[in-house]
Amino acid sequence: MKFVRVLGALTAAMMWTVQAHAQGATGTITGKVVDSTSQAPIASAAITIVGTQRGTLSRVDGGYTLTGIPAGTVTVRVTRIGYSAFQQTLGVTGGGTATLDVALKPVAAFLSEVVTVGYGTQRREQITGSVATVKGADANVGVMPNVNGMLAGRVAGVNVTLNTGEPGAGAQVRIRGGTSISASSEPLYVIDGVPINNVETEAGGIGLGGSPSLPRSPLTLLNPSDIANIVVLKDASATAIYGSRGANGVILIETRKGTAGSSQLEYDGYSAMATVARPLDILNGSEYRAFVQQQVTAGNLASSRLTGLGTANTNWQDELTQTAMTQNHNLTFSGGTADTRYRASLNYMNQDGVVIANGFERLQGRLNANTSALGGKLQLGLNLTSSQVNNRYIAFENTGGFEGGVFNNMVNFNPTRPVFSATGSNPYYEVGPGRQSVRNPVALANQIADNAVTNRTLGNVTGSYAFFSSLTGSVNVGVDRSGSVRKNFFPAVSPSGAEFNGRARQVSRDVSSATVQTLLTFKPNLGESQEFEITGGYEHADYNIGEFGAEGRNFLTDAFSYNNLGAGATLLPPFSFRETSRLASFLSRANYSLKNRYFLTGVVRRDGSSRFGEGNKWAVFPAVSGSWRVSEEGFMDNQTLFSNLSIRAGYGIQGNQGVAPYASLTLLGADGGARYVFGSTVFTGVIPTQNPNPDLKWEQTAQSSVAIDYGLKDNRITGTFEFYNKNTTDLLLTVDVPQPAVVPTQLQNIGSVNNRGFEASINAQILNGSTRTLSAGLVLSADRNRVESLGAQQFIASGGVSGQGQSGRNSQRIIPGQPLGTFWGPEFVGVDAAGKQLFNKYTVTRDASGKETGRTLAGTSTSPSGDDEMILGNSQPTFSMGVTSLGTWGKFDLNMLIRSDVGQQVFNNTALVYATKSNALQDKNFLRSALTDGIGIQEPAIFSSRYIEKASFLRLANVTVGYSFKLPGTSGRNGPTRIYLSGDNLLLFTNYSGNDPEVHAASGLASRGIDYLAYPRARTLTTGMRIGF
Amino acid sequence: MRISPVKTTTRKASIAALICMSATAMTVQACTDLSETPVSAISPDNYYRTQAEVIGGLAGVYAGLRNTLDEYWNISEVSSDENIVPTRGSDWFDNGKWLELHRQTWTPTSAAGVDNINSAWVNLWAGIARANVVLNALKPNQVENQAIIESELRALRAFYYICLMDMFGPVPIVTTTEIKQRTQDSRADVFKFVETELLAARTALPAKWDAGNHGRVTQGAVDAMLVSIYLNARVYSGTVTTAGLTPGAARWQDVITVADRVINSATYSLASNWNANFNHTNQTSPENIFVVRFSVIDGLGFNHNMKSFHYNIANFGGWNGFSTIAETYNAFDDADLRKKIFLVGPQNNLNTGAPVLDRAGNRLIFTPIIRDATQAAENEGARIYKFPIDPAVTNQHQPNDFPLYRLGEIYLSKAEAQNELGQTAAALAIVNTLRARVFTPAKPLSTALAQTAARTAIYNERLFELTNEGKRRQDMIRNGTFNGAWSFKAVSAPFRILLPIPTGQLATNPLLKQNAGY
Repeated sequence: MKFVRVLGALTAAMMWTVQAHAQGATGTITGKVVDSTSQAPIASAAITIVGTQRGTLSRVDGGYTLTGIPAGTVTVRVTRIGYSAFQQTLGVTGGGTATLDVALKPVAAFLSEVVTVGYGTQRREQITGSVATVKGADANVGVMPNVNGMLAGRVAGVNVTLNTGEPGAGAQVRIRGGTSISASSEPLYVIDGVPINNVETEAGGIGLGGSPSLPRSPLTLLNPSDIANIVVLKDASATAIYGSRGANGVILIETRKGTAGSSQLEYDGYSAMATVARPLDILNGSEYRAFVQQQVTAGNLASSRLTGLGTANTNWQDELTQTAMTQNHNLTFSGGTADTRYRASLNYMNQDGVVIANGFERLQGRLNANTSALGGKLQLGLNLTSSQVNNRYIAFENTGGFEGGVFNNMVNFNPTRPVFSATGSNPYYEVGPGRQSVRNPVALANQIADNAVTNRTLGNVTGSYAFFSSLTGSVNVGVDRSGSVRKNFFPAVSPSGAEFNGRARQVSRDVSSATVQTLLTFKPNLGESQEFEITGGYEHADYNIGEFGAEGRNFLTDAFSYNNLGAGATLLPPFSFRETSRLASFLSRANYSLKNRYFLTGVVRRDGSSRFGEGNKWAVFPAVSGSWRVSEEGFMDNQTLFSNLSIRAGYGIQGNQGVAPYASLTLLGADGGARYVFGSTVFTGVIPTQNPNPDLKWEQTAQSSVAIDYGLKDNRITGTFEFYNKNTTDLLLTVDVPQPAVVPTQLQNIGSVNNRGFEASINAQILNGSTRTLSAGLVLSADRNRVESLGAQQFIASGGVSGQGQSGRNSQRIIPGQPLGTFWGPEFVGVDAAGKQLFNKYTVTRDASGKETGRTLAGTSTSPSGDDEMILGNSQPTFSMGVTSLGTWGKFDLNMLIRSDVGQQVFNNTALVYATKSNALQDKNFLRSALTDGIGIQEPAIFSSRYIEKASFLRLANVTVGYSFKLPGTSGRNGPTRIYLSGDNLLLFTNYSGNDPEVHAASGLASRGIDYLAYPRARTLTTGMRIGF
Repeated sequence: MRISPVKTTTRKASIAALICMSATAMTVQACTDLSETPVSAISPDNYYRTQAEVIGGLAGVYAGLRNTLDEYWNISEVSSDENIVPTRGSDWFDNGKWLELHRQTWTPTSAAGVDNINSAWVNLWAGIARANVVLNALKPNQVENQAIIESELRALRAFYYICLMDMFGPVPIVTTTEIKQRTQDSRADVFKFVETELLAARTALPAKWDAGNHGRVTQGAVDAMLVSIYLNARVYSGTVTTAGLTPGAARWQDVITVADRVINSATYSLASNWNANFNHTNQTSPENIFVVRFSVIDGLGFNHNMKSFHYNIANFGGWNGFSTIAETYNAFDDADLRKKIFLVGPQNNLNTGAPVLDRAGNRLIFTPIIRDATQAAENEGARIYKFPIDPAVTNQHQPNDFPLYRLGEIYLSKAEAQNELGQTAAALAIVNTLRARVFTPAKPLSTALAQTAARTAIYNERLFELTNEGKRRQDMIRNGTFNGAWSFKAVSAPFRILLPIPTGQLATNPLLKQNAGY
């Protein structure tokens, strides 16, 4: 309270100063400022007398009073962010009171909005951190199964890479580059104020000779149509309030709420058709036959190879792909009174893959209710989402060896073989009975069953109570529970299940978290020129994950599929695990603003995580930031260019706790690999499963940023320029330890990474007529990532190469001084006369510690050695860009998104393995590009710069054209009926030779930019409609 | 004072809300406890308290034996003349590491160096680390049969040290559990440590375990390890420079003494059917002294054959890699039963007997000749198939045990020692007892051979008898042939009898000194 008194005294003193200047004959001006369209009062509008220092701000009711105005004619200027400036001349008489009511005309700009910033809201102009907002309605275009997709290309500094084109595919989301190596680089997701535990809700798949495909997104539980806004907190001052989890940025998702008024009923839905955007170019049957003929003639293949060929001409890619249908239906009703509002929605979505036999289905219901009671003092809110997601999978690989699933065999399988067999119990053609290392890919897709149903409920209840007008307390309790069962069946008739005579597995996984937040917000009334707010609170979160699984093999029949594990003659031991972790936090944020010009924000969060060592569980994460709205200064009065100009700067420290629980402890595990057989009994083996690190602590990121927010020409052009510098230290890094050790690595706090970058956004209101509007937005970002140190290690090999004959080969190195995702290998220079690949040969000099000090070119070699390997490129773009455009023309509307990444490289692992003629030695097919590459059939696939490709691209990500009209039979009260046509991924400009330059195959620590037989991306056409009844 | 009903409600609610908030605030203290208690893993504080729990830890140390059949075995075999892994198209190219092993061109940073050799290093040390964890946990405890269990752990740790000393020479002797940088002990000191440990462990161990504990370390297993280190004593207690081996003292008489202890123990006898030592019922072999136990259970099965099996030769496929070179195949006498371990000619499915087709649909015919190891055809190279599968088991998890030591080898070791000590006739007589069971009609060696000729004969007999049992590299080093030339391999530098310490290991422990020549 003392603080308040001081502030009050300060304010009084300032008021007195203003008064003191009022000498001679003066008068008063009074009036009210309202919005010209809604007639709602406008608070905090700045009212100034042009040419003087005199001025004030409007009150909450819009009213204002200016006293001590020298008698005479004065010019009054009224400005407010989000509105066109107003100016009028009027006469003031000594001792008299002139009245000037002002209706400000809003300009189409985002600045006046109230933005959710985490544990509260702020007016846009008050925000001193880096916060970007995406409107749900603008970004929910085309087929959008997953909220992550809504961010792509729409926020500067946010990079979204879908792993593959699979329905419901997971994504890599990186805000301002990746800060971590071993720990997670994923942002924190907060839904309606509750941070969620964004881990996979389903058990992993079973690989067929490689690691299984990456998990689908756990965020598919949300229906994008329910999303009002997505707010991205990028810098330390914005994210520090999330402390230990803020280092990778925070994504706040706000769902739509009901509005007061008569009840509204709305239907919206779409159906879509998708095809493979860019198929792989594989030899067809007759081309393959001709190739074998040619090689037999040349003596490279035995003549028996020709007689062994089949007579079919099968395009395996065509057999596996399809025109895929998607349908999505939403039914929403909402309404309420001034005190109680509700919104309920139902969603059904069914998306088939462009590859056969897989898809994604969602049934989701959502309820939101808010009520206000006790004269507005008590606010209660409820959000409840319950969804059932049914994922149907096919077997394909993330990484893989010489055998594999659908896509591996799509390329490999001999195109002279038929799809179906004329004989035998298996309708599909296979090379032989039993297990095969090449398998009919159509049979793999259709015969292997792999399904998972996840039920997830996400809910939170909020209550806030205003004890006094200045003191509000609130409680937010959130729960998130999901349960799923993943069911796999490999039938005995399939080469994938023959070895086990049928293999069936079920794994259940449950993930739950509970969060309690209590907050107190104190916001004293400090008069018209100052605002102060302090929020303090406590948060506690509990996380719990467990799995249980069982597997049966050796079935008499395939008829049981995965439904009767006990019918298997061989039962594997069931397996289960459970892990829990907790987070406890005290948080506080204070905002102070003076004259709506100077803003200061301070944040402190004290976080405790159970995941770290005793003594290192607690850490403090502070941040401070400020901004100066230059445009509100008197000296800016006489210019008309800048309607808004604001300079921001901030600094703060955030943490990362994205590591598995228990890493600080010595753990003994009953590990399957530690079992041993004595006599005829299997004895459970108990071994230490990790090297404990009792000193384990937070990874810390210190981030500073400076920015300019600008609005030109009455905010018809707005935007931001921003620079940031992030230093991540005490990296949670898995490093090799000296032997002997029970396992070869240990999680340590070693090394550092730097990210610095530039972000810009421009929004322009090009047309603002009553029947024609057009706005365009550009976001641009450039991130420079650099590994500063790895402790004692000179490098960490990563990016393991997939494919036959590639084991032990890595494509990337994490090297101090270089960015993450640096490609490393020999330089390809051409092909010699014998059809062998040639690589640059180097003589390398090293210092005593073995560090390279120089290299000289020493001719070429056909078998590169370690010394011939060097940096080949990098997978991080030089800059990324997104262009959006929104327009209306009478009843028509247009929404467009173009995305582009420039300067990055991608390792085309698909080409390395499958564009190699030597596949034919094993009766395997290959990509057409191998026919003309001049490389001999005997030459193995050797990783080199040849497969590091430029992958810059420009993508027309979406175009949507809509038409709105009043449908007869509808009231029209709830908006017009709109029909639209939308196209996703319509055009792609790139020199990348693979299927798509935006790829992610996870293969080792912090690997990125690796393309290995990814599920192909779709080009989609959508037709949809919305009817408001 | 008169209070309006609305205000009363408001005030009451205010109070209720305040109480609610304070209650939440009060629970805060309880919610700041962040201690971790794993629920599906165990903490060492409450483990190793009973014999059963300790045996759980012991099983984990035994489990490390399976890992010795990965890279320790691969390097021992592929760097010798027994095995080669030719590149077939892209298959088995693997950055050149397999041909590097065969050609002995590895370096601390090469493909084989960072992959095979590093894995061998890490896996062998893991066995030692696991043994140290249990041995140290047992110190303050008292469980039933503790002396036996401790002896087993020490013997197993000694076995992992034998493998490390065999490949890497001087390594740190470590009996504690902390992770830290350490300097190496000399190879001779490691030899001494292993010998001392084995002798100490032997006392408490049983001569034989009951059927329910078959597979655990016995006195015979310890003796077999002793025979092995004494046989290689000149190598193991010597030093290696860029010029090659400076041998240590020979221990031939110790070989004979300990071998006789095994032979005369009446615990083991030669199997009359040589195959019984290797086939899927070899658990009952009277000859096997110490084995790696396997079982038809996922992850616990013997899948060694996969390395050489063609993709289609069994119902569970294969990886079509490891083959032998023609001169090694040809070195076997056609009349020798032991030559039947090679798969050559037209092939039939090992489960069903049906003819096997190659990938292109033609009959698979293995040829002993590999024309070019960098571009071998699918069918080139004789395949070693010493451990016959159980045809009834249609997956790769086969029940065969892998003999680490068996009586046949003890015979040959004793013979070699006798020959070195000039007892050539006696030595050849022993060799002939092994030959008697594999030749019909009998084809004994002449016992009148001179010592040098006998040395060669015994060396060759070890090839015929022990092919693919992971002994060839040791045998070649001991006999000075390891750096010679054979198919697809030129003469190599003599320092290559030791492997390099992989670069990454030197970086993490800078106190280690790289072996000479690397």
